[in-house]
Amino acid sequence: MKNRFVILQPWIGLVARLTLGGVLFAAGYLKVDTPDESQMAVRAYEMLPISLANLLGLILPFVEVVIGALLILGALTRVMAALGGFTMFIFIIAIAQAWARGLNIDCGCFGGGGAVEPGQTKYLQEILRDLGLVFLAAYLIRYPSTKFSLDRNENRKSSQGEVE
Amino acid sequence: MAQAKNSKGGKDNFTRNLVIAVVIGVVLIMLVPTILSKQTNTSAAVPSIVSVEDGYGMVFNKELQDVPFIEIYEDFQCPACARFETIVGEYLEDLINTKKAKVAYHPLSFLGPESQLAANAAGCAADEGQFIQFHKLLYANQPAENSGAWSSSYFTTFSLGLGITSKEYEKCVNNNEYKDWVINVANEGAKRNINSTPTVFINGKEIDRDRAYNSLGEFMLAVSKA
Repeated sequence: MKNRFVILQPWIGLVARLTLGGVLFAAGYLKVDTPDESQMAVRAYEMLPISLANLLGLILPFVEVVIGALLILGALTRVMAALGGFTMFIFIIAIAQAWARGLNIDCGCFGGGGAVEPGQTKYLQEILRDLGLVFLAAYLIRYPSTKFSLDRNENRKSSQGEVE
Repeated sequence: MAQAKNSKGGKDNFTRNLVIAVVIGVVLIMLVPTILSKQTNTSAAVPSIVSVEDGYGMVFNKELQDVPFIEIYEDFQCPACARFETIVGEYLEDLINTKKAKVAYHPLSFLGPESQLAANAAGCAADEGQFIQFHKLLYANQPAENSGAWSSSYFTTFSLGLGITSKEYEKCVNNNEYKDWVINVANEGAKRNINSTPTVFINGKEIDRDRAYNSLGEFMLAVSKA
């Protein structure tokens, strides 16, 4: 069993990396062109002072593109997985508080965002999706060496290597 | 990481570090112009009815005191804005013409470049004294969002239907003369926490989101109470 996991682990890591990276990259890429909309999406959570929300709305898409691209390429996998997971964790908190406070907003995850009609919210799906991505990030933090990555795979040849 | 110098892995970190630098560099090169383009330009050319102190809105009956002040934030591509126009547009026009309200229009452009072009053209039409007519006709013919229907040549042709034939209007649309003004309107809307369109304030207070946007009666009631 252990041996099989040793063989599979880098492949699972590859899938985790491409999924988390792909989602982050797409989410960021879809928003870099529409800064006004992205700022609106952040403001709609009503968590930050307006000026700070506007700044975050401007920068966040670019940060997502960087984390996503580096995950896809497999560069600095562990650091990027930690950042990506942290981002998703914050999104979960933001969405959960919006839900709890009865706001009617779209998460604005892939563009769009802002207020929506009551009954048009999808908080549960959004949180479940982000939870899944946090799980993938956690896996990559634990096992950062993956197939086809630019990172040097330190634990190659030693099955205990990933314990650091 | 601690063993990075060890050659066991057979890969050298140079390639990886180069890739990281390139990715971050490219994104920074994209980010800087985005931030710069979002700066408010206080010396921007603005349509003649714009009131800078009213968030760069186009204000009708600016001189009136003691009447309700209605502020409308909209995006010409937003379907809900088109619906709002069909419900209260005529009533607003009436309020303006009979001088019973001061009305400010803020054309936002968050839905994309075609909203930006439309907002610019609206400013150009305002200079011809045709903003209200432009507004009405535009919503009556609203295409799908970012379908490519709205271009400079669309707006120069469109205006013929309003009897605008002046060279200034054509130049204004083709040169996107109010581009910076449109950015300023967007920035002011962002500062005012406008998170959906349409958003309407009467005397500084937003009207009831559940009712007053969908019913002429409720809207009229909100105006009369102001």
